[in-house]
Amino acid sequence: MSTPSVTLGSGPHGSDTPSARASTLDRRRIKRSEAARRRSASRLKLWIGAISALVVIIPILLAQLLPLPDPNAQDLGNRLEAPFSAGHLFGTDQLGRDLLSRVLHGGQISLTIGILAVIVSGLIGVVLGSIAGFYGKWVDVVISRLLEAQMSLPLLMMLLLVVALFGPSIPVITFVIAIAQWPEVARLTRSLVLVEREKPYVAAARTLGLHRMLILLRHVVPNVFKQASLVILLLLAQAVLLESALSFLGAGPQRPFATWGRIISDGQDYVTTAWWMVTVPGIFIVLLVIGVNLLGDGLRDRPRRTKGLVALLSKGKNR
Amino acid sequence: MTVPFADHQVSRRSLLRWGAAAGAFVAVTSLTACAGPTGLPGKGTLTLALNRSLVSLDNKLNQFDAAVTVQRAVRQGLTEIGPDITPRLVLADRFELTAPTQWTVHLRPGIRYSDGTPVTVEDVATALEMYSKVQGGFVASFFPEFPTVGKIDDSTFTLDTKKPLPVLDALMANILITPAAANKPAELQGGVGSGPFLVTKFNRGAGTYSLRRNENYWGEAAGVDRVEVQFLAEESSRVIALRSGAVDVIDSITPDSATQLQGLPNITIQRASALRMNQIFFNFRKPAGHPLANAKVREALTMAVDGHALVHDVLVGSVIQADGVVPPSTKGYVKTGEYVYDPAEARRRLASLGATGLTLKIIWETGEFASDASIMEALAEMFGQVGVKTTLQEFEAGGDISTWRQGRGGEWDLLGNGFGGPTGQAINVLQGMYAGTAEKERTRDTYQGYVQPAVASLIAQASSEPDEKARDAIVVKAQQAAWDTWPCVWQFVPKSILARRTRVQDLALSDSNSYPLTDVHLEG
Repeated sequence: MSTPSVTLGSGPHGSDTPSARASTLDRRRIKRSEAARRRSASRLKLWIGAISALVVIIPILLAQLLPLPDPNAQDLGNRLEAPFSAGHLFGTDQLGRDLLSRVLHGGQISLTIGILAVIVSGLIGVVLGSIAGFYGKWVDVVISRLLEAQMSLPLLMMLLLVVALFGPSIPVITFVIAIAQWPEVARLTRSLVLVEREKPYVAAARTLGLHRMLILLRHVVPNVFKQASLVILLLLAQAVLLESALSFLGAGPQRPFATWGRIISDGQDYVTTAWWMVTVPGIFIVLLVIGVNLLGDGLRDRPRRTKGLVALLSKGKNR
Repeated sequence: MTVPFADHQVSRRSLLRWGAAAGAFVAVTSLTACAGPTGLPGKGTLTLALNRSLVSLDNKLNQFDAAVTVQRAVRQGLTEIGPDITPRLVLADRFELTAPTQWTVHLRPGIRYSDGTPVTVEDVATALEMYSKVQGGFVASFFPEFPTVGKIDDSTFTLDTKKPLPVLDALMANILITPAAANKPAELQGGVGSGPFLVTKFNRGAGTYSLRRNENYWGEAAGVDRVEVQFLAEESSRVIALRSGAVDVIDSITPDSATQLQGLPNITIQRASALRMNQIFFNFRKPAGHPLANAKVREALTMAVDGHALVHDVLVGSVIQADGVVPPSTKGYVKTGEYVYDPAEARRRLASLGATGLTLKIIWETGEFASDASIMEALAEMFGQVGVKTTLQEFEAGGDISTWRQGRGGEWDLLGNGFGGPTGQAINVLQGMYAGTAEKERTRDTYQGYVQPAVASLIAQASSEPDEKARDAIVVKAQQAAWDTWPCVWQFVPKSILARRTRVQDLALSDSNSYPLTDVHLEG
């Protein structure tokens, strides 16, 4: 049985090849294929996610450079000014503070906590998950039971308890969010490592006499890290949401630090008279969370090996 | 002709269409159901939403304003403070000063608890004993000394003190009477009282109480069948609950919430002046040599506070800046001074007193008073203008701020706190806040460590002065002496604001920010 060759429409290369014959796999069909649809969907997700996240992240990163008032500078005579009022693009809060400045500076705190928390939780998760997956036996049992036990606890209640015990400082909040999130990463890493450790290159490394820890660190972890890092990215959105939830419930960093959760919490009392106090930070949270999630989804769904198709297409074009 | 079966086959597309239509129908009907208010109070049920958790129906340890309304509906005292801020008789029908150190009291005939047992002289004696045994109690702080009960007959007794206590009739309004066997030197949760309502269910943790009309009540029966008390910490939640009709009354609301509710159909706003002072009180437990132990430093710090901006901008004119140490509505109040805003002078004075580079820690409990967090943040900004750094620590309701207040939780410099004057007498407010002694301080029974022997001596004199004119003169001196120690960096007198559904009738909000539940009626 011969393999059908590919013709890509009536292009110059296709028509010039005398041996070419009509194929059912034309450009239109390729475009309609499931794989192509998935690829374009993932590209769309990547674009929307990147734009949504960057719309929030870039102003936050540039907050110190932008000509904004101090986020804590009060102007009691100009409290609850509506958006687009003089000098206040997003209006002012109940103490006359510039809402845009507070949201951007608050975003720095929320993002810092989120990023630090996912780094710590990612580190813990990857280390413990890979150890559990690679070593198996009692190590796996202990780590797996530990993460299952933690996942069975109500997350927010646990966080509130820890913050109540140790006080609501930024390091404490970062640490509790990190501790809350490591099981997700550990579980995925463990399952990836379980697959990897059965592969021939691991057996080859063992045969060559490499220490098990060295095999894990040098060969296995780099192979699973890319997939695990996608989950870590998705956890960033969750970490920002958790930090906002804690601040909203009064367990965030102490005043006068602006955090998104606190700005929304303070704005609750003015929801019918100063809607912007809850809406503006709410939009920032929504954009960031949706953006990061779409980015993670897009990266996850992106076709990993396009070499085959590309080679096939070039082959067809060159004929 | 028989139609071929194949023509009736349901295609996948039409199945999906029908499925989508059914889903939309279910979603719309569910949303419609959700859109209407749920859990509305019953026809004869009055639902109150308090801003602070009612941890007890007893007032031995705590007595925030709204709690008084509910506590007095279940338990009563020999007297109560009436709308004119004078004591009036409740369980007693006679309460007379028969000697400089002796009051003679007669219990009203026929008064009974909700279980039908009579109120006895022993119950009064036990109540006084239990209130005196509670350490750090709110009510106990008003008593220079607790009277002893001398029984004359089954319904007559004397209240004897070592020194004259001419305002005992007002003070006794805070002693709630419970059957002697059920009373303890601690806050009582449920139990039996002589009031117009009885407790049918309660959950201390959630702060919810269910009350039912006491059919054995010795007085006129209450106007509503049932009362449900809820705790909703978030003001916005209380406002929404009132608007949706889920609750009937919300109290102690902020002026901003009042603005939101003003003019809405079926909602009425009520205002009253208050027998309360809200303060940013200094920590008087600082060692000698600490800048805050110096009254001149405290005075300089007061100059950093823009009281006018706080009153008019932050609190939208709903309060008045204090010009004395007791609420203006109290009997015996006198103006003792004014807070002056002069940041340049504050900075100069602090520098000349060597108090530069100060860092102040301000603590308060959420919901201590309306707009508390905004006031604290505004203060932090104002102190920053004169070079004083601040850190803020907000305690969630039910947290351990009481331990901090007693100086056992951690170091702090300023406390946001409200202090009520439940007797309506200036002398009692002074007694509660400024009569601290070294002996009381050993058990941390002083007000934020305030021990000023000169002030305490004047208050002690006034408390035991039987002649009203002479007493009033000493009270004036005591107020001035307390003011001159600059105990607060700023203080204000709030106005009580309450919002109710219009179906709630005959709600008489008094200056004590409470109202008699028995008088309330429900329309329709």
